Amino acid sequence: MLETPGGQDYLVKVENVTAGYLSVTSFSSLTKTFTPVLRDINLSLRDGERVAVIGESGSGKTTLLKVILGLLKPVKGRVLIEGLDIYSSRKAWLRAVKKIGYVPQDPFKALDPRVKIKTSLMEPLETSRYSREEVNRLIKEAVKLVGLPEEVLEYYPSSLSGGMLQRVLIARALINRPKLFLLDEPTSSLDVSTQAQIINLINTIYHNYKMGILLVTHDLAVAQYLAERVIILREGRVIEEGFFEDVILNPRHEYTRLLVKSYMMEPI
Amino acid sequence: MRIRVPTLMISVVSTVRRVWKRRMRFRIGLIIVSAITLLAVLSPFIVPYPSEGWGLIPLNETNVSGQPPSLAHLFGTDDKGRDLFSRVLLGSSTALLQIVLVVGVSLVIGLTLGVLAAYYKGLVEYSLNYLIEVFLALPAILIAIPLKMAFGPGLHVIIASMVLTWWAWYGRVASVYARSVCEMDYVTIPKLSGLPGYKIVVRHVLRNVSPPVIVQAVTDFGSVLLEASAINFLGFGLPPDYPDWGVIAQNGLYYITKMPWISLIPGFFIMVTALGFSMIGDALRDELDPKLRRRWRLWF
Amino acid sequence: MVLAVESKGLSIGYLDEEDRVLWVVKNVDMQVREGEIYCLVGESGCGKTTLGSSIAGVLPPYSVTRGELIIYGRRVIKDDLRSYEGVRGKLTSYIPQNPGSSLSPYMRIWDQFWRVLREQGLNEKTAKERATAILKTLSLGQGVLEHYPHELSGGMLQRVAIGLSLATGAKVLVADEPTSSVDAHLKLQLMRLFKDVRDNYGVTIVLITHDILLAGKACDRVAVMYAGEIVEEGDSISVLTRPLHPYTKLLVDVVPLLGFKKTLASIPGEPPKPGLLREGCYFYERCPFRDEVCLNHVETQVIDGRRVKCWKPLVDKTTS
Repeated sequence: MLETPGGQDYLVKVENVTAGYLSVTSFSSLTKTFTPVLRDINLSLRDGERVAVIGESGSGKTTLLKVILGLLKPVKGRVLIEGLDIYSSRKAWLRAVKKIGYVPQDPFKALDPRVKIKTSLMEPLETSRYSREEVNRLIKEAVKLVGLPEEVLEYYPSSLSGGMLQRVLIARALINRPKLFLLDEPTSSLDVSTQAQIINLINTIYHNYKMGILLVTHDLAVAQYLAERVIILREGRVIEEGFFEDVILNPRHEYTRLLVKSYMMEPI
Repeated sequence: MRIRVPTLMISVVSTVRRVWKRRMRFRIGLIIVSAITLLAVLSPFIVPYPSEGWGLIPLNETNVSGQPPSLAHLFGTDDKGRDLFSRVLLGSSTALLQIVLVVGVSLVIGLTLGVLAAYYKGLVEYSLNYLIEVFLALPAILIAIPLKMAFGPGLHVIIASMVLTWWAWYGRVASVYARSVCEMDYVTIPKLSGLPGYKIVVRHVLRNVSPPVIVQAVTDFGSVLLEASAINFLGFGLPPDYPDWGVIAQNGLYYITKMPWISLIPGFFIMVTALGFSMIGDALRDELDPKLRRRWRLWF
Repeated sequence: MVLAVESKGLSIGYLDEEDRVLWVVKNVDMQVREGEIYCLVGESGCGKTTLGSSIAGVLPPYSVTRGELIIYGRRVIKDDLRSYEGVRGKLTSYIPQNPGSSLSPYMRIWDQFWRVLREQGLNEKTAKERATAILKTLSLGQGVLEHYPHELSGGMLQRVAIGLSLATGAKVLVADEPTSSVDAHLKLQLMRLFKDVRDNYGVTIVLITHDILLAGKACDRVAVMYAGEIVEEGDSISVLTRPLHPYTKLLVDVVPLLGFKKTLASIPGEPPKPGLLREGCYFYERCPFRDEVCLNHVETQVIDGRRVKCWKPLVDKTTS
């Protein structure tokens, strides 16, 4: 755990979180079995900091995301966003979740095929009191920011490519000016050439707005571009964390060593 | 609810046009169904003997019971001397009315409950699915008998008894589709923007679930007609004088050797209409099933 | 030198709804030598899977073919005619992307091996010996044979799938994105396994992947595909370190490399949709080195034994 001075100014703080899924085997037998996916996770992120959570399948990274987004209540521990426990009340959760811009993994599943891009982009603004003109202006700004033409607003998702959809989703996440950008494998379902475009786009946005970034990915090489600090998850536990260069150059854990090796450019 | 009717209409028209071009089956089915629909709409105006059609037995002087088909009575007359052509013609509107009401009402109930079951997981899903199971297991005729005893015969009996069983079928189809839609990120992400649940259900879930379920409903039109006719034939739905194909077929049952046309003509109409609806439904299902959208699909 | 797979002007397309042909693979000349690991690299929609399935003999019936494809001297595709008799499952075999869904869940691993080996006229005893021997080279014990697929882990299933395609006695194995469902730290193992299989059995492996790093690490020769064409072909190290075609160069520049934080180049635009047909170079719109001439002129050149489909390859820039 990297300690940063000045306790309160954390943007996100995950404290001793143990979370998992309850499975009700049948209606008649009320016994529920609990399978823990995350065990005693600690994580903190300050304003403007970029952290990558690296984990492969079964490491619990998706569960961690759900916990931070307030979709899965941990059995132990708490999640603070700007000092606010998001599981204390629905109001607190709503306030906290507005500070998060979430970019999901698969752009093809994240936009409703029967709803225009414009409606999808308006959705995050619906709960706030904005006038119609303001909403339109904000949408157009967001679309311009991610480098898409304005005509896109009138399209349905099916007429856009994966890279463009991912840009739309980034615009959607940005529209509320979030303090935290939560990226869930933002490039894993894209081609390499579009992947580079998206990485560069996120970096430009970061340099303009300096929001905190929490990236969840399995790809160390992508994480290198989007984060300074890295946390390596395996089977629900943090096995290694530190600054990116330190972890890559001197991996302490056997698994990290293996992981780093598999990304090195050397013939087998 | 903001489902844009014009765009929906355009997509329906273009789908129909595309399938029309490809499938003979669809063409035949559509022609049959349009003809029946036309008959049903026009029947009140072109019926030669309206009062006989609605079940009144003609006076003794004009009563010619059991007359075979002739120019005066195109389909002959029935055992009580009523003009069969008028009765069968009016029967077409009864048939369509039953189909539309049964499918429409069950579709609304089924879609709503099915989508709710899938969206609000846990106990709601469990109990709704249980309810669906129970109603799926009930035959419509078992509901029709007590309903007829309690409220007397009539359209309400047949509609109520069939809706009570058919909604469960659409509820199940809708909840299966809705469950996969609810897994999608486009249902989760609006939750994070603080959108209330009903808005998400209407805007995202219902909109994506209803098209396949509606197609399913169209393919069921034929089966609904068959089941309704069966109940009416057995005498548990409409009163014995009502102009309905099932009822007319029942009227002629005792005279089947002497006056076979009384039962055969409405039976033929039931068969042709059900066939027409099945042909349309079949072609639509084949066309919309992505696995069959290949060059090899049969032209017919 | 024996050619395992050779194609001459091979084009493959699919019939769409309106019975038009959508050409996905365009005019491909390819030579795969016996006993090498040959890699087809490209982004999605570039036709690499279609080309691979034409070699494995699993083209869907509604596809259209032109040109020739020859596998070990047997002509399997000659224009419209396709005959994989005695080739599919005998000479070539296919390793699917996701072994979890390609192995029958209701059969034990042994039953699946038996179904393959029975075809070769083996009796139960010799078949069992052979299956055990194959599994041994894949470092799986005999006990695996008695298990059902769901009882094995993903990595084991992947090896069983490889074992099954080896059991057919095929000389050419086509592996379609074998690593895409495998965790990164297991990728190395899997690639090492492919090399071992090649060395032990002398088979030729056609590897289809979008991962250019993997291609560089595991393959002998690489063919880079773009919009249905092979734009560059050559031995893997030189293609990836000194690319000749602008697309290859950008593709290499665009991939993030761990421990070497270069600025990521970005190729403007998106890959073309499959089925685009036109004169000249398909990479024209996105190419930073383009010229007026590229619009209607493209030619295949051979430089240092590498074939490149560009009339002005990046020779000078790479040597200086």
